[in-house]
Amino acid sequence: MKSFIFKLFVFFLLLLIPIFLVFVQANGYSYPFYLRFTTPKQSSLILGTSKAAQGIRPDIINGILARDDIYNYSFTVVHSPYGQTYLKSIKKKLSKTNKNGIFIVTVDPWSLSSNKKDVNNPDIFVELNNCLSNTTWVNTKPNIEYLLKNYNKPYVDLLRKSEIKLHNNGWLEVTVLMDSISVNRRLLDKLTLYKEGQMTHSGFSKVRLEYLIKTIKYLKQYGKVYLIRLPVHPQIMKIENEYMTDFDSKIKSVVLETANYFDMTHLNDNYKYTDGMHLDKKSAKEVSKIIAEWIQSEDN
Amino acid sequence: MLFNSIDFAIFLPLVFIVYWLLQNHGLKWQNALLLVSSYIFYGWWDWRFLSLIIFSSFIDYFLGLSIAKSDVKRKRKLFLILSLVVNLGFLGFFKYYNFFAQNFADAFTFFGQSIEPSRLNIILPVGISFYTFQTLSYTIDVYRKKLEPTKDIIAFFTFVSFFPQLVAGPIERASNLLPQFFSKRTFIYKNAIDGCRQILWGLFKKVVIADNAAKYADMIFDNHNYYSGSTLVLGALFFAFQIYGDFSGYSDIAIGTSRLFGFNLKQNFAFPYFSRDMAEFWRRWHISLSTWFRDYLYIPLGGSRGSTLQKIRNIFIIFIISGFWHGANWTFIVWGLLNALYFLPLLLLNRNRKNIDFISSKNLIPSLKDVINMTLTFCLTLFAWIFFRAESLQHAAEYIRNVFTDSLFTIPNFIDQKITILILSLTLLFVGVEWIGKEQKYALEIMKNIKRTPIRWLLYICIAFLIFLFAGRAQDFIYFQF
Repeated sequence: MKSFIFKLFVFFLLLLIPIFLVFVQANGYSYPFYLRFTTPKQSSLILGTSKAAQGIRPDIINGILARDDIYNYSFTVVHSPYGQTYLKSIKKKLSKTNKNGIFIVTVDPWSLSSNKKDVNNPDIFVELNNCLSNTTWVNTKPNIEYLLKNYNKPYVDLLRKSEIKLHNNGWLEVTVLMDSISVNRRLLDKLTLYKEGQMTHSGFSKVRLEYLIKTIKYLKQYGKVYLIRLPVHPQIMKIENEYMTDFDSKIKSVVLETANYFDMTHLNDNYKYTDGMHLDKKSAKEVSKIIAEWIQSEDN
Repeated sequence: MLFNSIDFAIFLPLVFIVYWLLQNHGLKWQNALLLVSSYIFYGWWDWRFLSLIIFSSFIDYFLGLSIAKSDVKRKRKLFLILSLVVNLGFLGFFKYYNFFAQNFADAFTFFGQSIEPSRLNIILPVGISFYTFQTLSYTIDVYRKKLEPTKDIIAFFTFVSFFPQLVAGPIERASNLLPQFFSKRTFIYKNAIDGCRQILWGLFKKVVIADNAAKYADMIFDNHNYYSGSTLVLGALFFAFQIYGDFSGYSDIAIGTSRLFGFNLKQNFAFPYFSRDMAEFWRRWHISLSTWFRDYLYIPLGGSRGSTLQKIRNIFIIFIISGFWHGANWTFIVWGLLNALYFLPLLLLNRNRKNIDFISSKNLIPSLKDVINMTLTFCLTLFAWIFFRAESLQHAAEYIRNVFTDSLFTIPNFIDQKITILILSLTLLFVGVEWIGKEQKYALEIMKNIKRTPIRWLLYICIAFLIFLFAGRAQDFIYFQF
């Protein structure tokens, strides 16, 4: 019996070697969020959902502001709407040594929404069962805990290159066809999804708004917070306006905390979107530049 | 709890260690531990349905004793009927109620009287078909005086709910499994290693072969109108490996796990795709179910004795019921019917026991005749699998119609060429290992013949590593739904 258990133990120990080598191979191409859980603690963060993840490039902002510490820690509307889960994860990711950080906090109606059944019940918040909630360590490489708990594809895919690349600075680069037919098809899909899904099943959550304010208050201890609403396709904007007619008045209470707010939706027509919701790569570069210049002007 | 889940990877070693620590405290303690573990294992999925197993166990425990106590034939028969009614009643309600309600309503509609079927939102308890048949084998054998009933309630309850084979078989006979709960189990190193090897092979079949084949089979079956005939054939081929890898993989893990606890379960698959005719296929596929039907249905009906008409009737009954056992859908009934049609000529021409021995026994290369027979049998099986996999008869008919078009002779469409070729290569490797090991109880048993330990270990690690590489989210086993 002892010999059996010992041999089994040795077997699993030997098996761990190639397994570890596969985990080490995981990179920005492996999974859209993985690298964000492997990089060290950061002093300046870009926060929000996938709009910010794809639409704001830290390298551009760093370049203009002559910094090197801005990091994109935005996920998706099902991972990082404002709430306790996101705030907890931000606290883990933030390096508390620096007090001169820059925090770009993006907002839109969806990041302040929850299930219509009970919009203010944190127990049914969508993000409770995903990576931000279940990953204890957000800065270890390789992050085995993250891969074991959240990687929902066969591990062999860690060795393959996907069309999505998460850069070391947290920016998510998505490469998709940008011809008008492909873009229109994706836009239509998105419109249907939001009209039939989000609009019908979601509602404004006061708790989420409170957590947004809590998040900003927390971040203010470590630097300056900039509140931004990113541009979207005019047709998506129409849906957002229909969905939350009083978004601007709701956000006023948040603006009181930040003392600044840059609503970029008046620039909606100026950019290209992969699906109406997310800025394409080139537009992300332009938008990032404008954001950096706005931050500069706010600081002066 | 799934065999291919982290939960089970923690559960099994814990139960294993405590089980053998109890070795010197007597069988009762070991059996009690197995019973509790089995209920945890099952309750992990849905604890509410534990009440069904417990109720079935109670009924059959007392009815078994009552049958044995009584000398009056009518009384004995009554107890047996009660057991059949209760067990098959549960099975019928949970598995077939909606099917019959719908078909009843459809029949009325056909005759111009439209009625709304009263459908119920019923969850099918996992493994109900398996443990129902297992516990029925007990009361029937007691009734036939082939088995003495047990008074040991713990042992009996553990027999009904023994976790390695509770949810997807093999369906063990009381005469084989129950006595093992009364004999002292000692830890035998060789058996434990053998158990681990069989678990490893079962996991490989499930995770590497079945789950990967499933992705392609699902994609092709769900979008059959968009694919060429040759791709649809590939889809059926993928499904053939999915169902074999999935189900025989489960059986391997079940048998291997049982061996770790000192139990011997019957072999459930004996390399069925190497069969040379359909009779041989049915002797090698899901053996525990085939033999159950043979002993408790086919032979009581008269078996292969009697007039030609009776023989035909018996074959159709057993195959149709076997198909229906798999699920409440006409597709399974047609699948059973097809197999009856395949089997019938062999029985009537008295050629059903022609291929009893292993194909190309002791030879690595089969004869041309064997290859032709094996290919033909596999093609027949493949055709029948289309009905088994299809959502409805219409789906199956469309699928088959799309196969037999000009596009049958084109190169199949590969969605992701690199990964498809990788999966096909692994499947070929798998078939190769199965062929080499075809005279063993399971293919990987052949590894024990490799004398050099480092080479043997290296191969085991390679297989385990492949399992890790292809493991994603734990996928359900197909036979859980039956």
